[in-house]
Parts: sequence; C-alpha cells; structure tokens
Amino acid sequence: MFLPQLSWKSLCHRKVTVLLTLVSIAMSVTLLLLVEQIRKDARSSFSAAISGTDLIVGGRTGSVPLLLFSVFHLGNPSNNIGWTTYERIRALPGVKWGIPVSLGDSHKGYRVIGTTTDYFRYFQYGKKQSLAFKEGAAFAGVFELVLGAEVAAKLGYRLGDSIVLSHGAGAVSFAEHSDMPFRVVGILEPTATPVDRSVLVSLQGIEAIHLGWQSGAAKPADVTADDLTMASPRLQPTAITAFYLGLDTRLATFRLQRQINDYRGEPLQAVLPGVALQELWQLVGLAESALLLVTLCVAFTGLLGLLTVLWSGLNERRREMAILRSVGARPLHVFVLLIMESAFITLISLLVGVALFYFILWLLAPVLARDFGFYLTLGGLYESQWYMLLAFSAVGLMVGMIPAWRAYRNSLADGLTVRL
Amino acid sequence: MVEIDNLKFRWQLNQDWVIDIPALTIATGETFYLQGSSGSGKSTLLNLVGGILQPDSGDIRVLGESLSAMTHARRDQFRADHVGFLFQMFNLVPYLSLLENVILPCRFSVRRRQNVLATGRSLEQEALRLLECLGVGESVAVCRKVTELSVGQQQRVAAARALIGAPELIIADEPTSALDSDARENFVQLLFNEVRASSATLLFVSHDPALAGLFDRTVGLRALNRAPAIGA
Repeated sequence: MFLPQLSWKSLCHRKVTVLLTLVSIAMSVTLLLLVEQIRKDARSSFSAAISGTDLIVGGRTGSVPLLLFSVFHLGNPSNNIGWTTYERIRALPGVKWGIPVSLGDSHKGYRVIGTTTDYFRYFQYGKKQSLAFKEGAAFAGVFELVLGAEVAAKLGYRLGDSIVLSHGAGAVSFAEHSDMPFRVVGILEPTATPVDRSVLVSLQGIEAIHLGWQSGAAKPADVTADDLTMASPRLQPTAITAFYLGLDTRLATFRLQRQINDYRGEPLQAVLPGVALQELWQLVGLAESALLLVTLCVAFTGLLGLLTVLWSGLNERRREMAILRSVGARPLHVFVLLIMESAFITLISLLVGVALFYFILWLLAPVLARDFGFYLTLGGLYESQWYMLLAFSAVGLMVGMIPAWRAYRNSLADGLTVRL
Repeated sequence: MVEIDNLKFRWQLNQDWVIDIPALTIATGETFYLQGSSGSGKSTLLNLVGGILQPDSGDIRVLGESLSAMTHARRDQFRADHVGFLFQMFNLVPYLSLLENVILPCRFSVRRRQNVLATGRSLEQEALRLLECLGVGESVAVCRKVTELSVGQQQRVAAARALIGAPELIIADEPTSALDSDARENFVQLLFNEVRASSATLLFVSHDPALAGLFDRTVGLRALNRAPAIGA
C-alpha cells in the first residue's frame, strides 16, 4: 500500500513534466480511438444507407459514382435515362418493384429527389427497415413534398409550410423556382442515412418546376392551371436519373444485371449495392490504412515520450533511489516504484484520452452528419477500441519496464552512495 | 557488533585492493570513530559493512551474523531491520513531508515498525519525539517542507530517520561535513544521546579529526587499511 503512495507523490513532485507527458499520451489515445471510430462508423453508416435493393440502375458510369450520386447524393449525376426505359425494365419478369429517382434540384443545400410514392413503400435502409412518417403522409399533389428528418429539424419546417426549390445542387442558388412553391405534407422519422437530408417530391413536381425551362434557364412559360395536375400530360416524366430495383428472388440478380447492361435502347448500367460498396471500400481502404498507420505512429510517439521522461528522470533521481535504498528499500522496490509511475501515467492518460475522445465525438458528430451525411455513433466503445486501449496499456507498462529495469540495475550498482 | 576478518575488496579483478583490513571489531554500544581522508576507501567500507558490496575475500559479521553467508534479499532485509544510515547531505526525499521522511524506514522494515509500536507510541509520535530530542521542534516538524529546511535541520531529520525503530547499528558517513564547526559538535552530542538512549552502536566516518575526542574509540582508516590510498 505504501509503494503506490510513494510513486504517486514522486509523480506529483514532477507535476509539469508528468502533466506534459500525460497530455501528449492522452492525445495519442484520443486520436487512436477517433480514427477507429470514424473507420467503423463510416462503414456502418455507408452500409446502412441502402438495404433490400437488389440493383441500382443508371446511365453508364463507374459503379462507385453511380452508387455515390444515387444513394448518397454525393457528386454529380451522369446522363439521364429515358422514362420509357425505366418502364420497360420495371415490366421485366422477376422485377418486383422499382423506385425511380430524379436528381438535380435542391433546397438550401439539401438535395431534392423526384420520385414516386413507391419510394415510401419499398425503400429500405439499415437492417431492412422501411421509411416511416413522423408527421403527415406521402405527397399526393404536384406541389407537395416530404422532408427528411434532418431537413425538417434544421430548417425548422412544419407541415403546411411553403418551400421554394432551387435549380442545381449548391447551398446558394441564383436560379430559384420561386414561381412554384411547394407545401410540406409529410416529415419522415430519422434514419441516420442520406434520406434524412433529402427533400422528396413527385416526378411530376420536378417536371412542373422545369416547365418552360430551356438549357437550364427560366423562360417565360405558357403554363395553365390544367397543366399543373398529377395527371397532366405535360407533367409526365420523360427522363430520370436512376432507379432502384427490387427483385422477386435474389437468384435473378445476375441475370437481370446482364439483361440491363445489354439493354439496346440506351446505354445502361446496373450495379449491386453490396458490390459497389465493396469497391468503395477498396478505394477508401488505402487511405484508411494510411490513416491507421499515422495514428499508430502517433501512439508510438506518445509512449516514446513516456520513456524519454522516465529515462531522463532517472539520472536526477539516482540520489532519491539511493536514499530509498538506505532506508531499507530493496532493488525490487525501486523497480516496482518505477513501474507504478509509468502505470499511473498510462492509466490516467487512457482515462483522459477516452474523455477527450467523447468530447471531440460530441463536437464532431453533428458537423459530420450535416456536412457529409456521416453518422458517428455516440455510444460505448467498439470491441476493437477496447483492444486498442488494452494494447496501449500493455505497451505502456512494457515501456515502463525499461527505465524500471535500469533503475533496478543502478540501485544495485550505486548502493547507498551516489558518485556524482 | 561488527567484526571484520581479513576483508579484501577491489572493484575489478586486475586492479589494486581498495580495502584490505586484517581485523576490526566494534563492540556493542560503542561509539566508533573511523577517520579517513577522501579516497581512503571509507564509502567502500561502509557499503561492505552495509552489505551492499560483496567482499572478494574475508568476512564481515554484524550482530553475530555473517553477511557473506546471506542471500541478496536476506542481506537487504537484514540491513533494513538492523542498520540506520545517515549521510553527508541531501539525505531527504524531497516529495515527502518531514514526518514521512522520518517514518520511511518503518515502511520497509516490519521489525522497526514493531519496535516503535511496542513503546506504545504511534509512528508519528515517535518521529516527533525523536525530532524533539534532536532539536527540531514540533512547529518546524509539522509545518515546514523538507526543501525549506536548513542543512543543519535536514541532518537532524536524517538522524531521526536513522534512529527510528531502534536499529542496533547506526552508520554515519560524514554527516557533519556540511555543518559549520559550532554546529558539528552540538549535532554529534545530540546524536550520541539518542544512540545511547536506544543502546545502539555508532559507526561514524569522517575526515575531520576535530571530532575524534568525542568518541569512545577512534581509528584512522590509513592505519587499518593495508590497501594503497587512491591518488596517494
């Protein structure tokens, strides 16, 4: 009981040095945990974005870009595909359902998705969870829209509010469809996927706001009230950006994929969401490993700092050790004393590091969710993080053994008198 | 109390002997003064008597027990239980309080702790009593930090620490050399009082011949040690 007390007092005696070391180690612990958290959460957050969809179909591009723009609303869509093409493929045997999506407009930085009410019926995320309405219901009219949970919360919209959509995907737009405001008729439950940041309208709505537009600019239009109904021939979609397909049986996936890729009407590409995600990981994997490597280096540097402090302290403390020896401390006591010091430093660093980790997570999570649709989980540590902490403390203790061993040797050699 | 028999020691095999003492006996209860200049092997001899260094040949018996016959761990324990040490200066652990410094030996030796507790006093009470006897009042003992003490006060605290728990042998290595001459004699007298009160034996080593007259017996290391003095 006395030795821990003694080593604690000795540490307190060297407050500044110990504190600096502690901070540097704690920060490397924080970084280690943070990188791992982002790595894990990136995977789960990306994988949770779409589920239950067997194929994503769009114009010819890479499978990763197709996945990125159609599911994550990242990057810019490729060529549109014809509505008739969608209808034809939707009618193929083995296809259970289809969700068309039309991208290109936005509202205050949030993407607008033109789709059909099938979106609310068939789209699934996470572990095959379906979308649910927190308030209201799906759009039924041309100028009705449904908001993702985050859009509603961040912009403070309620049912019945009037919203003007913008042309293009930027947060600031100079071309607003201000002549045709939309009414909020539904707000979705949060899903922690890109859906939360979506504004969902009917395909007819998308057509309506572009009536009379040519080459991306508004032109005085000859629009009558009859034109602005769901059934109006002028509002029937002619092109969409991509569509999701659900099949009767997963066994048909590859057959249909081939069929779509070979479609003669126009160049199409069908990707399996899982396969595209896998490809995405391969891309990200390299950066991930590099990040992890850097983090390990930081952790190593932190522990090296611990070694430096303990080691350089030894010489100044030879007299202290000799005094302890003269009052009856055995060399083993000296060894244990130093081990305890590094154990204290490591342990406190871990605690501070974990606390700092949660603090940063708490600060970072909303920002990442808003700007990148990246959802950090504020919960318990992952198993891999526990292992990291365990490994870190083990290495910390081993590092502590080096100076402890030297102190042990010193105190054997120095005896009670120190020749300085 | 201490019997030295044909003691020989050198640091390395091909070097000259540093210590070569045919015989020396220090009686129980004696205050023994070993006078030697620096480089005469004083510290080496003390490390040998303390059981920290191992002689190349010969034997040292302390309290009738042969140090060479003991294992390393046993010697460490023996030293902690039976020997109190007092050095030249910087004797105190800077991060412990004054009282904690005095009590320190009782943390490492059960025997010395029990010796104190057998008197019916607590460790703190005994430390305060010893400090009082050595001229460090309770106000200083409780309030001052170790680093705020004068050299003289530090040596008194160190002396109290060497004496606590009544070890049979007190080894003092130049404890007075940092003190001015008036304080020296005074310090040695106080030390004697306490050594006698606990009927311990004092082995006192110094280069200062002025103190020699105060001791029961004085021996010059030069006369005792047949090994050539370093630098001589």
